[in-house]
Amino acid sequence: MSEHSLRYIENGSFFNRMDALSKLLWALLVILTTFQLESNLARAIMLAAVIFVMIALARVPLKTVLQATPIILIMGSLLFFVHLFTAPSAETVTIAGMDFGKEGFDKGLQYFFRITIMVLASFILIWTTDIRDLMVGLVSIGMPYRYAFTVFMALRFLPVVQQEVDAVKAAHAIRGRASRSPLQHRFRLWQRYMFTVIVNGLRKAENTALAIESRGFGAYPDRTFVKEFRWSKTGIALLLVFAAFAVWLILWGKNRAL
Amino acid sequence: MSTPVILAINIAILVALGFVVKTVKSDPTQKGGFNFNYTTSDLVIMAVLGALAGVINTWMGNVWYAANTVSPIYGAALQGTFMWAYILAYFLVRKSGSMLIIGIIEASVEALLGNQAGLSTLGWGISQGIGAEVVMAFCMYSKFGWLALGLAGAGASQFGTLWSFILYGWSSLTDYLIAAPINLISGFIFSGLLGYFLGTMIARTGLLRATRRGAE
Repeated sequence: MSEHSLRYIENGSFFNRMDALSKLLWALLVILTTFQLESNLARAIMLAAVIFVMIALARVPLKTVLQATPIILIMGSLLFFVHLFTAPSAETVTIAGMDFGKEGFDKGLQYFFRITIMVLASFILIWTTDIRDLMVGLVSIGMPYRYAFTVFMALRFLPVVQQEVDAVKAAHAIRGRASRSPLQHRFRLWQRYMFTVIVNGLRKAENTALAIESRGFGAYPDRTFVKEFRWSKTGIALLLVFAAFAVWLILWGKNRAL
Repeated sequence: MSTPVILAINIAILVALGFVVKTVKSDPTQKGGFNFNYTTSDLVIMAVLGALAGVINTWMGNVWYAANTVSPIYGAALQGTFMWAYILAYFLVRKSGSMLIIGIIEASVEALLGNQAGLSTLGWGISQGIGAEVVMAFCMYSKFGWLALGLAGAGASQFGTLWSFILYGWSSLTDYLIAAPINLISGFIFSGLLGYFLGTMIARTGLLRATRRGAE
């Protein structure tokens, strides 16, 4: 599911054209602001603003949004129901003819909005940002390039890991692995898959380290990139607008009943 | 129940684990000390393990979320299953900070693969990494035996619950305290011992002879 719905989509949207760091800072700003909001109405407004960014500024295709919706909503909904039924409440609210604890309902909504906003902002970042640009941006603000490269390399290794799992599975099948077997046997098979995949991965790691070092990786404190990082005006403008919006929302939401 | 209270409980547990690590005999041992000079090979090893752990943990996370949302007690039994790569990386690389670095790498992979908590997954990577680092710092990163690594796994598992608390906002301190020993046992077994045994098995293959790691 995640493989198809959560990947970079290049569609030339306003958000796509912004620099990667501004988008990362925007997502962090949204997350930090959400933690500061004190009323559910303010949280609902923040969620609406994030949805607006997703639809109007990032132009994420509807199909992609629908595919990711279960991931976005499941945890928030679970948290809502858990707090609704477990938080001690003195007052009650009636919804669709049923009585619920007011504090539980409010707390449930609070955690539903908080998680949903955080996840949605993160997903917008993933949908609109090439990870390579993000790494170049992080290096430009002082992150040592060897460490930035490590995170980038981990992502580059993902398809290699998948290929490795497929190869090990095929090797087991050739040697007569039963396609249907009891749970205990399957667990033992997975143990073997995992160990083989880890060992093969580490073997590749040694070779990769040698290959990149022989090309001079790590020899100098700085390095050059094919695409240099530049702050975009639109990115900075969005950050300023959202910062002002966040301050207003925090102040507006203070001591609000809902 | 507030965040400072939970933080204080977790720091107390980490300090206790740290003192236990300091006093126990745990072979193999090395000279120890703070060493942050990572070679390219170290970084690539952590990248590979981070990728592997990221994939496995994203899948495992779905099971854990459902359990943990209800109560810390339900999530505690599975909490320890996420940090085996931290311990394995530390066993292979043998440098201070390696558990925090792989925590951040693994959590970044999880966040970008579609973990249900989005970017906030990084909070677990950082908190769990710090938990394991604090425990090992007490023995100056000099012990690599099953007991020391088991306790580091337990520390990582427990300290990760601080971030879970911030995200989930459980209201029962009793539930949290009941969950603590389950977290510790889960981290000890599924992270510490699993990481240690994977490390010794990898060392036995002779794969790391070229870089003279884990060959003791």
